[in-house]
Amino acid sequence: MEKLYVNEIGPDGAVNTVGLFYSHPEAQKIVDMLRADPARAAYRYEIIEAVRHVLSDKQPRRLAPAGKE
Amino acid sequence: MRGITPRREQGMADPVLAEMVHATGATESRHYAAVKPTIQAYRASWVKLAPYRDGPVNSQRVAVDDPAAMTTQVKAKAMELGANLVGVCRLQPHMIDLGSEVSHEFVIACCVAEDYDKVLQGPDAVEEEAMRTYAKCTEIATALAAYVREMGYPAIAHHNGASEVQAIPIFYQVGFGELGRHGSLINEKYGASFRPGFVTTDLPLVEDRPREFGVQDFCMNCNVCQRNCPGDAIPQDHVMTHGIKRWLIDLEKCYPYSRLRDEYCHLCVDACPYIVKSYPETYKAFMKERKQVGYKTPKSY
Repeated sequence: MEKLYVNEIGPDGAVNTVGLFYSHPEAQKIVDMLRADPARAAYRYEIIEAVRHVLSDKQPRRLAPAGKE
Repeated sequence: MRGITPRREQGMADPVLAEMVHATGATESRHYAAVKPTIQAYRASWVKLAPYRDGPVNSQRVAVDDPAAMTTQVKAKAMELGANLVGVCRLQPHMIDLGSEVSHEFVIACCVAEDYDKVLQGPDAVEEEAMRTYAKCTEIATALAAYVREMGYPAIAHHNGASEVQAIPIFYQVGFGELGRHGSLINEKYGASFRPGFVTTDLPLVEDRPREFGVQDFCMNCNVCQRNCPGDAIPQDHVMTHGIKRWLIDLEKCYPYSRLRDEYCHLCVDACPYIVKSYPETYKAFMKERKQVGYKTPKSY
C-alpha cells in the first residue's frame, strides 16, 4: 500500500500534518474536502510520500502536487 | 463551525481494512465478525441510545450568573453519573470531524477508566472491559446532555453510537493529558487505558487548560509500546501538527493483529508505563511476563 501524508501549509508557511493515508485518491479526497471550506482559503495542501523512521530527520520526497498549487 | 480533522471509517467502510480483508479472500474482518454475546450487548446499548443524543430543550432557561459555579455543577453531575475525569473547553474546528458541523460553543469531555487488572486477564477480558467503558461513556454523555437541555440550553451527546467530535484534541485541551507514541492520549493516573464520551452545548461554562507533564518528551526515549507492538506498527519518528508531536500508526501493520484476528489487541496501551503509578505491582508483573515471552509476542499466543 502507498503511505502518504497530507500536509496543510498555513499563510505563515507553517506546515502541519493532517494525517496518514493509504492511497492517492484517499488523500486527495481529504484535500478536496479541506479546500471546500471557505475558512481554509488561505491554506495550501500537499500530498507527500511518508518515509518511515526518517520522517523527523529528513525532508520527505515530494510526490505529484495535490491539484492547483 | 466546520470540522477539519479526518475521521477514519470503522469496519469494512475503512478502505484500508476492506482491501486487506479482501486480499485474504474473506468478505468480513474476523475481529468484527467474531462478536461474542456480551460484546454484542454493549454495542447494541450505544446503538439504542443514539436517537437520544439530542432532544427537546426546556423553554424555561436557568439563568447562569456564575459560569464557574455552573461548570462545577455540571462536572459534579458527570462524576455522579460515573465519569472518572471531566473537563471543559471551547470547541474549535480541529476538534470536529472533517465534513461535519457543530454549532455549539463548548464541549464537556468525560472519560471512564478501564480496570487494568481486568484488562490483563486476556484478549476476551480486555475487549469486554473496553466495550463496558464505551457503553458507560455513552450512558454518561446521553444523561448529561439531557441534564443540560433540562436547564434550557441545547446539548448533544457524542459517543460510540454517533459522534461528530474528535477525542484526542478535546482531551488534550481540557487537560486530561498528552498524546503518546502509541497514538492515544496519556493521563498520569490512568495511562492510556480509558474511553471517551462528550457533550457539546451552549451552556455558559469556564474552560479548563491543557496540562503537560512531560509525556511527549518521555515518549521520545521510552519506546516500550513500540517494542511490544506485535505488528511493528508504531513508528520511530513523529510528524508535527500545531506544535504537537504525532506518531502516526501504520494501519497496514496494525490491522493484521487488531482487525484480521478474532482477538482484540490492546498491547500498546497495556504496556504503556504511565499506568504504573495506579497499578505498580500488576504492571511490573505484566512487564516481567512480556520480557520473558519476548516483547513482540502477543500475550494471547
